[in-house]
Amino acid sequence: MIQIENLKANIGSKEILKGLNLILEEGKVHAIMGPNGAGKSTLSKAIVGHYDIEVTGGDITFKNHSIIKMKPEERALEGIFLSFQNPVEIPGVNNAYFLRTALNAKRKHEGKEELNAAEFLRLMKGHLESLGMKSDMISRSLNEGFSGGEKKRNEILQMLILEPEVIILDEIDSGLDIDALRAVCEGINKMKNGKRSFLVITHYSRILDYIKPDYIHVLKEGRIIKTAGPELVAQLEAEGYESIKDESI
Amino acid sequence: MKPITLQHKSKEELRTLLKTSAKKDLLLEKFSELDMPSTKSEAYRYFDIQPLMEQEYKTAAFIPREIKEHDKIEIVDGIVKTAPKGIRVYYGTYDDVDMTHFDPLYYLGHLLTPAVIIIELDGDIEVELLHRFTKSQTLFAYRLVIKNQINRHATLYETFEGKSAERSLVLYGYDMHIAKDSSLRVLKNQTAYAPHYTMIASHKISVEKQANMVFKSFDFGDASALTLLKVDLDTSAHMEAGHLLYIGGQAKRGIVSQIVHKGKHTSSHQEAKNILDENARGIFDALIKVEHTAKYTKAHQNSKAILLGENAHMVTKPQLEIYIDELEASHGATTGQLDKKQLFYLQSRGISQIDAEKMLVIAFANTLIEKIKDTRNQERIKMSFEEAFYASNRTKLLKKTDQ
Repeated sequence: MIQIENLKANIGSKEILKGLNLILEEGKVHAIMGPNGAGKSTLSKAIVGHYDIEVTGGDITFKNHSIIKMKPEERALEGIFLSFQNPVEIPGVNNAYFLRTALNAKRKHEGKEELNAAEFLRLMKGHLESLGMKSDMISRSLNEGFSGGEKKRNEILQMLILEPEVIILDEIDSGLDIDALRAVCEGINKMKNGKRSFLVITHYSRILDYIKPDYIHVLKEGRIIKTAGPELVAQLEAEGYESIKDESI
Repeated sequence: MKPITLQHKSKEELRTLLKTSAKKDLLLEKFSELDMPSTKSEAYRYFDIQPLMEQEYKTAAFIPREIKEHDKIEIVDGIVKTAPKGIRVYYGTYDDVDMTHFDPLYYLGHLLTPAVIIIELDGDIEVELLHRFTKSQTLFAYRLVIKNQINRHATLYETFEGKSAERSLVLYGYDMHIAKDSSLRVLKNQTAYAPHYTMIASHKISVEKQANMVFKSFDFGDASALTLLKVDLDTSAHMEAGHLLYIGGQAKRGIVSQIVHKGKHTSSHQEAKNILDENARGIFDALIKVEHTAKYTKAHQNSKAILLGENAHMVTKPQLEIYIDELEASHGATTGQLDKKQLFYLQSRGISQIDAEKMLVIAFANTLIEKIKDTRNQERIKMSFEEAFYASNRTKLLKKTDQ
C-alpha cells in the first residue's frame, strides 16, 4: 500500500533517515520499534509531509504514485492519517467545527455531498460514546486544556470519523493509563477491516498486547535493520536493541 | 481649515484663531502647551498625523435640531438626530475637563465644540450609538459626555458609518463618568475603509468607587484611526479593556492609553489582539500608572500580534509606571506569524492551507470576541469581523490561488 524506497531525510542539516526501505502491506499492522533517536518520528513525519523534514533522496509511493511532492492536506485527502504524539492545542477553533471541516473536505475530495451540522453530530455521537468521551469535548476548543488521555482519544475520534486508509500511530501509548490505553486501542482495533494498514510506532511492547502486529520492524540509525513476525517483540524485551544485527546490508 | 495652522501658537494666537471666549482660556493654555500633534509628539509617533494636519478641511456647521425618537442614538455629522425614549440626550456645557490628559487633541476637541452632547444612561439599559458621517473633506469635531447612575448596569454598543465621508477627519471623543457601585460596558464596533474618514478618538473615563468599566474595541478595515484613552480608577474600581484589531492596506491604527490607578484596591486588565495584513501598522502604546495612593492594585496588560503580510508591522509599547510596592502587576507582548504547528495539524487532516489559515485567524480573533457575554452582541461583532476578513485582499487572493 505504501512503499518506501531508500528514503533519506534531514532535519535541518542533520541526516536522520539514511536509506530506509519499508513496505506497508494492505490490511496489515506494522510495528516500528527502535531506540531513542533512531528516526521513528522522522519516518512518520516524512510520510505525512511535515515541514521540519527535508527529503534528500529516495521515494515514498502510495497507491502507486509518489507522494513526496504532495502537500500535507493532499496526502491526508488521499487517505493517510498520522495520530500525533503530542497533539497541538488550538484555542478558538471549535473541536466539532474543525472535525466537520476536515470530514467535508474529504467528502468533497471524494465527490460526496458535504454533511450539515445535524448530520455530523449524529455521526459523532456514537463514536464519542464508544471512546468514553464526554459530549462537551466536542464543543470545546481543539485539544485546549485536554488531558493527555483526552488528546489521544480525540485523535482516535478523528480517525474514526475520517476513515483513512493508512493509519500511523506515533507513540499513541505515551502518557496513557491502562484504562485509557485500552479504550484507545479498542478504537483502533475497530478500524481494522482487512484493507486498512497500520504503522504503529512505539518504544514499548505494552501496546502490542492490544494491537496485534503482523510485522515488527527494528529501526536503528535511520534504517530498518530487521523485519520479523510478532515473536521478535519477546527477543527485544529480553535482550534490547543491541542484540539485533543489521540484516539490511 | 488646515489643522496645521494651529501648530506652535501661543494661547493668545489660538484664542483669535479659534474665536473662543475667555472661559476656555485654561483649555487654550493646555493645548498651546502640548501643541498640535506632529510626528514628534509621543502619542502620535507611530501614527501618520502630519498629512492629516496639513490637509484643508471644510468645517461642519453646528446647527442642533430637534432630537427625534428612535430605537438608537444617531449622531450625524456631529449632530444628534435621534434618541430612544427614556434616555436623556441634550446639549450642554462641560466644566470637568481633565487638565491632566496627555492628548492635545482632547483639548482641541473641547475647544472646537460649541456644546457637548450629554447622554444620561438611566437604569439598567442597553443603548446603541451610531455615528454617521456624510460629507467629504470635512472636519467633524464633537464631544460627548456620558453618565450613568449609581448601582446601575448599562451597555453602550457603538458603531460607525461613513462611506461618503471621503478624506474627512473626525475628532471625536467622550468624557465618561462611571458612577459609584455601577458598571458600564462599551462595545465599539468599527469597520472603516480608506479613503473614507480618518478618526482620532480621544476619551477620558473616570471610574468611581467600586465601579466597573468594560471597554472593548473592535477595529476592522484598512482606514487609519487612533484611539487615545485616559482612565482614572478610584478606590476599588475595576477596568477591563480589550482591543481587537484586524487591519490591512496602508492602515495605521491602534490605541494609545493611560490607565491611572488612583485609589486603593483598584484593578485593571488590558488585552490586545492584533491581526495585521499587507502594509498595515498596528499600534498598542499603553501605560499603566499606579500612583502612591493606590496600594493593593492589580494591573495586568498583554498584547499579541499576528503578522499576515510581509510588510505588516506592530508597534507595541506596554509600560508600567509604579510608585508603590504593594501591588500585583504584569505586562507582556508577542508578535509573530501564524503558528506552524497549528497550521500543519489542520492540514494533516485534509484542510487546505487557505482554510487552515482562515481558521487560525478567526480563532485568534474569537478568543477576544467570545469574551463578550451576551450572544447578540457577540454575534454582531463576529459577523463584522468575518465580513472584514472575507472582504480582505488576502482572502480574495488566496481564493484565486486555490481555484
